[in-house]
Amino acid sequence: MAKLLDKQRYKCALGAMQSVQAITRALPILHSGPGCAQKLSESTGSSGYFSPNIFPCTSINEKDVVFGGVKKLNSTIENALKVIDADLYVVLTGCIPEIVGDDTGEVVSRFEDADKPVIYAPTAGFKGNNYKGHEQVVDAIVDQYLKKSETKQKGLVNIWADVPYQDLFWLGNLRELEKLISELGLTPNTIFGYNRGIKNIDKIPEAEFNLLVSPWVGLNNMKKMERKLGIPYLHYKTLPIGATETSKFLREVGKFAGVDEEKVESVIKVHEDYYYYLIERYADLFLENRVINKQFTVVSDAHYALGITKFLANDLGLVPAKQFVVDDTPKNRREEIAEEFKKLNFGLEAEVSFETDGFKIHEEIKNHDYHGYPLILGGYYEKEVTESLKGNFLNVSYPVQDKVILDDSYVGYTGGIRLIEDIYTVAVQRFN
Amino acid sequence: MAYKIAVGSSDGINVDLKFGEVENFLIYEVTDSFRLVEQRAVTGGNSEDEGNANNVNSSDLSLESNCKKSNCKSSGCGGNGGGCGGAEGVQKKVSLIDDCRCVVCRKVGFQAQKQFEKKAISVFDVEVPVEEALKKITYYYEKIDNHKTLRT
Repeated sequence: MAKLLDKQRYKCALGAMQSVQAITRALPILHSGPGCAQKLSESTGSSGYFSPNIFPCTSINEKDVVFGGVKKLNSTIENALKVIDADLYVVLTGCIPEIVGDDTGEVVSRFEDADKPVIYAPTAGFKGNNYKGHEQVVDAIVDQYLKKSETKQKGLVNIWADVPYQDLFWLGNLRELEKLISELGLTPNTIFGYNRGIKNIDKIPEAEFNLLVSPWVGLNNMKKMERKLGIPYLHYKTLPIGATETSKFLREVGKFAGVDEEKVESVIKVHEDYYYYLIERYADLFLENRVINKQFTVVSDAHYALGITKFLANDLGLVPAKQFVVDDTPKNRREEIAEEFKKLNFGLEAEVSFETDGFKIHEEIKNHDYHGYPLILGGYYEKEVTESLKGNFLNVSYPVQDKVILDDSYVGYTGGIRLIEDIYTVAVQRFN
Repeated sequence: MAYKIAVGSSDGINVDLKFGEVENFLIYEVTDSFRLVEQRAVTGGNSEDEGNANNVNSSDLSLESNCKKSNCKSSGCGGNGGGCGGAEGVQKKVSLIDDCRCVVCRKVGFQAQKQFEKKAISVFDVEVPVEEALKKITYYYEKIDNHKTLRT
């Protein structure tokens, strides 16, 4: 985890309890101090099945640091199995038990014969942030629960994208991706959100391939599944927002899955026709250059920074100023992600900075000449700095305080339209 | 820096006494190693009563049996520390060893734990040999006092 003093935009790896929570009827069991979960919990949605943010926890204290918390963990799992009706129990370890050396794996292995699966993911905060923790949870499912399948279901595709709750649009995004994939004649399979859960987890090994829509989060999971379950993967780095990227996305997925080209093009045509119909109807708004800002900056995780930058440059014809990726992207992935920012239409290239220090980001925003008012899409932290520059601000990434999102999405053709609506809603307010 | 540890043990080999049952605390002094320096007797002769106050939290002793004790003066046992000895009894016993850094007993009741917490004395309610407990505790204090990681 990078050193942070303020404006933290992610949590420690134990924040992966939100990923577990996003799997219907999966229960996190925390092997951590009593304060960890409280600090990590937010009011942004819960599982829809268990009480929000109330989980079995070993609540370890000084005694367990000195004498080990193994006994407590054993009884916590044992009793969770007795009193809570879940489909999957995921033990998550915090920093303390991993520092003092509790053998969580050994304790969990005692429950191999339990009626319900019990797995564990090492999510100590010192190992990384909750993006990493999310990967650990998926890894745990692959390693400890899934088995290679001899039979494959034709056209079945596992879709992996956002980190649930870290990205508030996660549910809408996944559903929209599912919709797009099924229009190609494929069968989507996701594990997060309503009516998915264990039955969809069980289907993972039968998939023909994994589709990862993310610049870097989840790539390790894809590699693991390729090795262990023999599932090939397509790594699509850009979150497809708007017509340009979504059509590109559908063509690439179609090619990878061997979908008839004509079929792909016909799907694209239907969507694009409607998309451009909407755009055209409001062309005067888009062409009125006083309304929208000339340059924009996105401050968010790589997922959105890349997706939105491409969308605003390619579809709306805005000019990217510097973009900031704040998810502490692993160093070995940065170069290829930075390359993606250079693949824009009209010969544009966006400069990107991998920076977690909010102060430095704000200084750079203040010192940049946006040729007018800036358009800033970022976390809530950017609201104040944007206001001081009289710019337009839209809250798209963690932390989100400005927006309530139930199942809205910024993905696909409709997602692009939603984002345009949101941006212009902010922009036109200036003239009211 | 030297510090003391209070241990509840009947034989000096195993931590086998609940806080309330202790009549003689074994006081160990820790410098580079640990050694037994004192046996501190619980005065007032009402150790049994105080003990009962702490038995409220223990499952293996029924409340009824506590009250059958001949010297029990109260009409009933129950509630947090509201048993035979009452909060005052616990307080006295806690004060007796408040020069120690921590206390090690088989079980320590809720009332007593809170009293120790107030005095910033750590409570370790464990059932292990005295030797093992002291080794683990001194290892732990040695690390944190010298700002060393506990990472294994």
